[in-house]
Amino acid sequence: MLETIRAIWMRRELLGILVIRNLKIRYKGSVLGFFWSLLSPALLIVIYGVFAAILRFNAGRPHYLEFLVSGIVVWQFLGMCLNDSLHVVLGNANLVKKTAFPRFILPISMVLANLVNFLLTLLVLVVYLLFAGMPLLGFYLIPVVLLLQMMLCLGLACILSTSNVFMRDTEHILGIGSLAWFFLSPVFYPIQMQLEFLPEHLGWLPFLNPMAGILYAYRTLMMGALMPDTHAVPGWWLLVSVAVCLVVFGLGYFVFQRAQRAFGDVL
Amino acid sequence: MAGQEPEVVIEVAGVSKTFSLSGGSGSLKSRVLERLTGRHKKQVFKALDDVSFTVRRGETLGIIGANGAGKSTLLALLTGTLFPSSGRIRTTGQISSLLELGAGFHPDLTGRENVYLYGAIMGMSRSHMDARFDAIVDFAGLHAFIDQPVKHYSSGMYVRLGFAVAVEVNPDILLIDEVLAVGDSAFQRKCLDKMRAFRREQKTMLIISHDLQTIQRISDRIVLLDKGRLLGSGSPAEMIGEYEGLVRQTESRAVKREWGTGEVRLEEVCLTRHDGTVADAFDAVDGFCVEIGYRAQERVEEPVFGYAISDAEGHLLHGSNTQLAGVEIPVVDGTGRLTLSLGALPLTPGNYLLSCSVHSADHRVNYHRLDHAFAFGIRGQNSSAGPVHVPVQWKWGGRPV
Repeated sequence: MLETIRAIWMRRELLGILVIRNLKIRYKGSVLGFFWSLLSPALLIVIYGVFAAILRFNAGRPHYLEFLVSGIVVWQFLGMCLNDSLHVVLGNANLVKKTAFPRFILPISMVLANLVNFLLTLLVLVVYLLFAGMPLLGFYLIPVVLLLQMMLCLGLACILSTSNVFMRDTEHILGIGSLAWFFLSPVFYPIQMQLEFLPEHLGWLPFLNPMAGILYAYRTLMMGALMPDTHAVPGWWLLVSVAVCLVVFGLGYFVFQRAQRAFGDVL
Repeated sequence: MAGQEPEVVIEVAGVSKTFSLSGGSGSLKSRVLERLTGRHKKQVFKALDDVSFTVRRGETLGIIGANGAGKSTLLALLTGTLFPSSGRIRTTGQISSLLELGAGFHPDLTGRENVYLYGAIMGMSRSHMDARFDAIVDFAGLHAFIDQPVKHYSSGMYVRLGFAVAVEVNPDILLIDEVLAVGDSAFQRKCLDKMRAFRREQKTMLIISHDLQTIQRISDRIVLLDKGRLLGSGSPAEMIGEYEGLVRQTESRAVKREWGTGEVRLEEVCLTRHDGTVADAFDAVDGFCVEIGYRAQERVEEPVFGYAISDAEGHLLHGSNTQLAGVEIPVVDGTGRLTLSLGALPLTPGNYLLSCSVHSADHRVNYHRLDHAFAFGIRGQNSSAGPVHVPVQWKWGGRPV
């Protein structure tokens, strides 16, 4: 692991080039280009705002729109990483076949490119939340949650990109799987809706879904006491999510490093 | 060599590489079905089989062998894009490689972006690449196209840029797969000059090429691969001689034909030099001898022994027989021997095929024919096109040139 970090540090120029290439490809041929990273979350807030008002999504909960939009923005970071992970190795087949470099750079560069995008989105979100009167008191702790989410994304990207090299079914499984995961996660409903079904001593179960803990943490840090989730969540329930993030990252790293030796054989 | 030898920078020890032929990217369905029906025995192809050799610093090693011998697999293993199935590879120093005509360029990126990408893969800093960028573009001769996406490049331009960047990142070890086959002669000369400069700097090179003349000139040593096995390692002349012998065998196998009624059989045909030593390659000026041992099953009157020389594709170039030469053989019975001596051959260097035959005086009955059965090589200075060498002299303005 330490050796991998060292090898990647030696290739930091390559990492930079790959991140920029990822971003360039995303905005290739578009007139507004990079500006879309700011424009699309802003439009997203407007659209959800309009429809939430018309359809009365909020079911009487105060600050529901802030809650919904922050959840969707956080989920999008994961969703983009999942989709991009399919092409992390396959899309760089010519590099993998012809040149030698630490392959782990490929999933990292993809997650970092999406991080750039996410940070811009987060900027728009923060401006909106400030206007909406959210306290944003714990904002300085956001990097910790962000780091955990990146580890989760990287771990999953490792597993999915490897799987897609050897088995193209991965794409279809991911399509359905991520949709199910989205609805299983408290993105547009508060976690208390899940907790109400469970006896108190099993309240940690929903946090086996790492996104439950991550979403709860982001929202607590941004919305504080104004969050519509009223059910008490003890800190160690969140640690369950943290543990799952770390396990997924470790597993992904292990799988990827084991499998990468065979990439050249199959590509 | 005086003093101690330079250190070993490449060590290949007992390396084998197998590929699964069933294809790794099968779908989930086919895998599950194979499991369920118990038909998941993998078909494997052994691309390299227990190959060992070492290369010392400053050495230029040529790798030769027919298509499918495992040359490119070997370079990919040394580069680190493939990993051996068994055995061990140890390399010391920065390796730059040009595998199968490309340096891993991304088609959508421009030439400039690809140069920096390759530099970054090699662990070069941006400022380092800035300093070398002009030299790379100069070498490749691509000033007008460097900001075009490489997908618009011709294959020659692609290889030129690949070679230029692989060389200019200043590696300790350079691995090159078949660059000499593409590009015009001017670029090839530039490549060769660059490779010689590399040698002078005590850098290590491994080269694959089908251009045997060039590889013989530039290599210090050559390894010969055949069907994944290391057949030998030694001086360029020796290994290329061995490889040409191998090619002759396979070529003659393809067009070889044996037929006849069998009253007289050619039991042994042997090509020798004039001093009697057996060989399969000869200098054109020397010529060679053919020793024929025959056996007649019964008394056969007036048999005619013939021979023919054809090119590697089997086109007849020359042929004659005892009848045409006025050699009378009234009768054969039992075993006997015959010697044919050929003088200086007007042939250009290359591979040729010898046919031998014995037939009746009226050509009606072919007792035994060995068509294109014996391959031999002709060595010499290649100074003309086509199989036939004719001594010529030019005069220009009335004076011999």
